[in-house]
Amino acid sequence: MGQHVNSQTEAESKLVGLLAEFSTPEAVVSAAEQVREEGYRRIDAFTPFPVHGLDEVLAIRPTILPWLALGAGLTGVVAALAGQWWTNTIDYPFVVSGKPLFSLPANIPVTFEVIILFSAFTAFFGMLVLNGLPRLSQPIFRSERFRRATSDRFFLLVEASDARFAVEKTRSFLQTVGAVNVEELHDDAAPAQLPKWIGWTLVTLAIVALIPPLWIARARVVTSDQPRWHTFIDMDYQPKFKPQTASALFADGRADRLPVPGTVARGQLRDDERLYRGIDPDAEPPPPEPKKPDPKTPEAGKPAPQPASPEPAVAWVKDFPIAITDEAMKRGRQRYNIYCAPCHGLAGEGDGLVAKRAQELQQGTWVPPTSLHSEAVRQQPVGQLFHAITNGVRKMPAYGPQISAPDRWAIVLYVRALQRTQNAKPEDVPPETLKAMEP
Amino acid sequence: MKDRVSLSVSEFHHLSPAATRWAWRLAAAGAGGLLLSFGASFVARDGFSRFLQAYLVNFCFCLSISLGALFFVVLQHLTRAGWSVAVRRLAEVLAAAIPFWAVLFVPILLLVLVGGGSLYPWNDAAHVEHDPLLQAKTPYLNAPFFAVRAVLYFAVWALVARFYWRHSVAQDETGDKSHSVRMQQWAGVSIIGFAVTVTFAAFDWLMSLDPHWFSTIYGVYFFGGCVVGAFAALAVIAVVLQKAGYLQDSITADHYHDLGKFLFGFVFFWGYIAFSQYMLIWYANLPEETGWYLARQSNGWTVVSLLLLFGHFLVPFCGLMSRRAKRNKAVLAAWGGWLLVMHWIDLYWLATPTPANGPSFGIIDVLCLVGMLSLYAAVLLRIAADRGLLPQRDPWLAESLAFRNA
Repeated sequence: MGQHVNSQTEAESKLVGLLAEFSTPEAVVSAAEQVREEGYRRIDAFTPFPVHGLDEVLAIRPTILPWLALGAGLTGVVAALAGQWWTNTIDYPFVVSGKPLFSLPANIPVTFEVIILFSAFTAFFGMLVLNGLPRLSQPIFRSERFRRATSDRFFLLVEASDARFAVEKTRSFLQTVGAVNVEELHDDAAPAQLPKWIGWTLVTLAIVALIPPLWIARARVVTSDQPRWHTFIDMDYQPKFKPQTASALFADGRADRLPVPGTVARGQLRDDERLYRGIDPDAEPPPPEPKKPDPKTPEAGKPAPQPASPEPAVAWVKDFPIAITDEAMKRGRQRYNIYCAPCHGLAGEGDGLVAKRAQELQQGTWVPPTSLHSEAVRQQPVGQLFHAITNGVRKMPAYGPQISAPDRWAIVLYVRALQRTQNAKPEDVPPETLKAMEP
Repeated sequence: MKDRVSLSVSEFHHLSPAATRWAWRLAAAGAGGLLLSFGASFVARDGFSRFLQAYLVNFCFCLSISLGALFFVVLQHLTRAGWSVAVRRLAEVLAAAIPFWAVLFVPILLLVLVGGGSLYPWNDAAHVEHDPLLQAKTPYLNAPFFAVRAVLYFAVWALVARFYWRHSVAQDETGDKSHSVRMQQWAGVSIIGFAVTVTFAAFDWLMSLDPHWFSTIYGVYFFGGCVVGAFAALAVIAVVLQKAGYLQDSITADHYHDLGKFLFGFVFFWGYIAFSQYMLIWYANLPEETGWYLARQSNGWTVVSLLLLFGHFLVPFCGLMSRRAKRNKAVLAAWGGWLLVMHWIDLYWLATPTPANGPSFGIIDVLCLVGMLSLYAAVLLRIAADRGLLPQRDPWLAESLAFRNA
């Protein structure tokens, strides 16, 4: 009964091939040679240890895996360099110690690692795929005798898919070339399946793995009265000094260090008095002017501002230390409209939106901004105007920290242009325009 | 299909008397070359310092090949390698030349002991007087300690090289396996001693040419060059010997394949170490460190630096990648020769550049190089003359002869 069932299954399941058994490595090599000569092509050998010469006899083609690994490595080069180039120059350009945004030496370690990663993964998974692994059901393992392939027997498999394969003929041929035993290999009638519990475990693990990212995503959108939970406390509280803080480490109690005496930080050497302070170091300061009442009357109803504390006479720069160009003028107008116009007004009349609103609110402490066309301002040398922007005047705050020196000069240039528009004489107008204006 | 498990009787394992007669001619040519180079140094402008530099570069070149070969020999015993027995004697011969290099180091040693700083600036008392950094380094960089260290390095190397040479040739006579056991037992200690001494020798002889500059990886860099040089030399020597009719059956494509793998690996090792040194200095951008590279990126040295990047690393790396290149005698020997040239340029690039000079290669350098190489060849022929080119009774010889790369 059992015998009957067995033969019936064998008859139904597909024939894979004939497995010939040999007792010595020489026998399997010579048999493989003859089988090849007979014209069989779909053959394979199984031996307990590498048998030299067998690969050549079986005409096993060299694997393409090295080429795949090389291709993956080259892909790694391109991917790593492109990724670093994009992040460093496009997505988040950030200058590190004065180096170019994209500089090759810094990118080589990452590129190297990515080459290794890509080619190692390709070699490993490529090996599995090219070998047809993982394979849960392999008919050859159903043979009891094949177990000796790992100790002392040598096997040759002639596949049934070979063009010359014919069961009886092939069997007798294998016996003539020295096989000690030949058996038929059949496909597994019920191929092994992946156990169900493995699949369920993987699904469960995948769901559990989603919990932490979901929890983090939730924490980003909801508020909580609990103290913050620090995953990496050293990253949230880094052992470093922040600017303008106290530190017990240094004798003077400050975290900030003064520059080493005699040194200047990069880009901070401001030894050009004309450009950075608006003062001519070579010129003699003018004699102090005798005090006289301010000729300009301020706005009606307001007390005249106290004359500023008598400043020492300064040799202000009288000509621009920057090149006077159309470009500088346009830059000056743009900066003026951003920084100055809110109070001083677009035309410099002292009627900016902030000034108007402040007057509407009728708040006593408001000092109206000066009109840039007042005689006092018009008489000031450019250096003094520059000084006013840099350090502020009376209620006007200092703009030096926010606007670069060349931009402040550009603003002064634009202010000069504004003043000229409000006090123009006929000679200032080009003759053609003047002619067109004449009635 | 025949496994070669025994030596073929028809093969030549001993140098012919004609080959050993060449030793004396080469020795004469070598000594003549060195003397002529020394003589030329009196004629040329700045000749003496150029001669000293050429002497140091060529001395380090030849010595580094012997050191790399010594590393190879010890490594084979440390790992109990079987495949390498067929080529190990060639490396043993190269390593056994180390006592001779001790003799050629004597002129440098005397020069340092006399003082004056014609080679090493730290050795010039007048220069050190105005240099607080060098004054601080005096406890290490001073002539007597330099000499003591040099003697120590050569003592360690000569001891190890002679130990492995003596046991290996003694085994030729007796076939006693206890020689192999002894060589394996001492391999660990030997390789540690080798690592320490080679590192400090590189610091002393090459890095201290620019005594303000320092790089802790310098010794490893020099070591990488040594091993590249040794494998390149082994490949070239094996091919030349087989062309001349020796070791025809012993050394097979599989041995060349493994030598090629080592060469390929250490070409990359050298590049890896060279870049590791470069990147840290480039990134930190500290003037005390960048000056050394600045000198190698100006006055025409940029070309030499790029030549090393491509010629010592990228091009041979690609060229040696293929299995076929490593198994083909002619191709492997060509890469060996190429890398020997590059290894020489590497040492020249380490020793010569200063902020003021550009690369130059004159009659002094040529004579010095030819002289030193001829002497090297003569010494190798003398050492190999009365010994076989194969450890004929090494217990692993059969395994090595039958060795196949899977």
